[in-house]
Amino acid sequence: MVLTCPVGMGKTTQRDQASGHSRRKLLRAGALLVLGGAVTPLTGCDLFDRDDQPPPPPDPLRPMVDESLTLAAAYQSSATAHPELAARLNPIAEAHTAHARELARVLGVALPSTAPAAPTTAPAANPAGALAALRALEKTAQQSATAACAAAPAERAALLGSIVAARATHQEALK
Amino acid sequence: MRQPSAGEALTSVLSAEYAAIYAYGRIGVRLTGAARDAAHQAEAAHRRRRDALVVQLTTAGGVVPPDRAGYALPYPVTDRASALRLAAEVEERTAAHWRAALASTTGSERDQALAALVEYAVRATRWRKTAGVTPLTVPFPGRPT
Repeated sequence: MVLTCPVGMGKTTQRDQASGHSRRKLLRAGALLVLGGAVTPLTGCDLFDRDDQPPPPPDPLRPMVDESLTLAAAYQSSATAHPELAARLNPIAEAHTAHARELARVLGVALPSTAPAAPTTAPAANPAGALAALRALEKTAQQSATAACAAAPAERAALLGSIVAARATHQEALK
Repeated sequence: MRQPSAGEALTSVLSAEYAAIYAYGRIGVRLTGAARDAAHQAEAAHRRRRDALVVQLTTAGGVVPPDRAGYALPYPVTDRASALRLAAEVEERTAAHWRAALASTTGSERDQALAALVEYAVRATRWRKTAGVTPLTVPFPGRPT
């Protein structure tokens, strides 16, 4: 009994403080609701589209087609900027295009005629910088292909393995 | 065609590793300096994979194929040029066996197969660079041509 009394008093005090917080929280929540209502009117449309079939999940190979074409485009723009590197870079650009073609065949889709996006940055002014930039692109691409290979069904694993290995050999060839 | 089991695929890889080790014995003696060191390192890598495969297949209760006294080489190794050419070919061929194992494996066994495919494909590129052969790379490493 000795203990419950002060604790009860403490609780009363805390409840007062808590209710103070609640009022502020309510006000903030109200502000957020107003903001949310202002920026998200489009999401409301989804409420009325329930009859639509959900789109099929995208095939994980699909982004790899674009990735391969983007890599090929990066090599082509570096070879144009540094013609002295063309003999080294062109076979690798062709390999990336061949990967895109093979991936598109497995997916049963037509190969896009151009890269989905032009390389975001212009090739470096000096050849060594251009080679280093391509090596960095290949390293990132090797990692994404490695993840795809690990998760792939049996019939796709060998193709993806070759693409992983190709991207690794490209880094070696650019050294 | 029926998909080989993981054990069957790894058994075939082991036979390829035996042949690679044999081939490097012939290759190393035709090389000097840094190339010879690289051949010894490559041979050691194939021995490590062979040993790991023997343990793996034995543990799994599978058939461990015996090594043979000799393996037929695709052409005689008589000088530096033929040694470097064979070295690149040995790497591509063993890479092809590991590549084939990808479809039969999952999880850590597939990771193991992929690591070997990548390592051997990169080494084949290094051997071409040492030999001065172009192009340095192939579009689909390990894929049967």
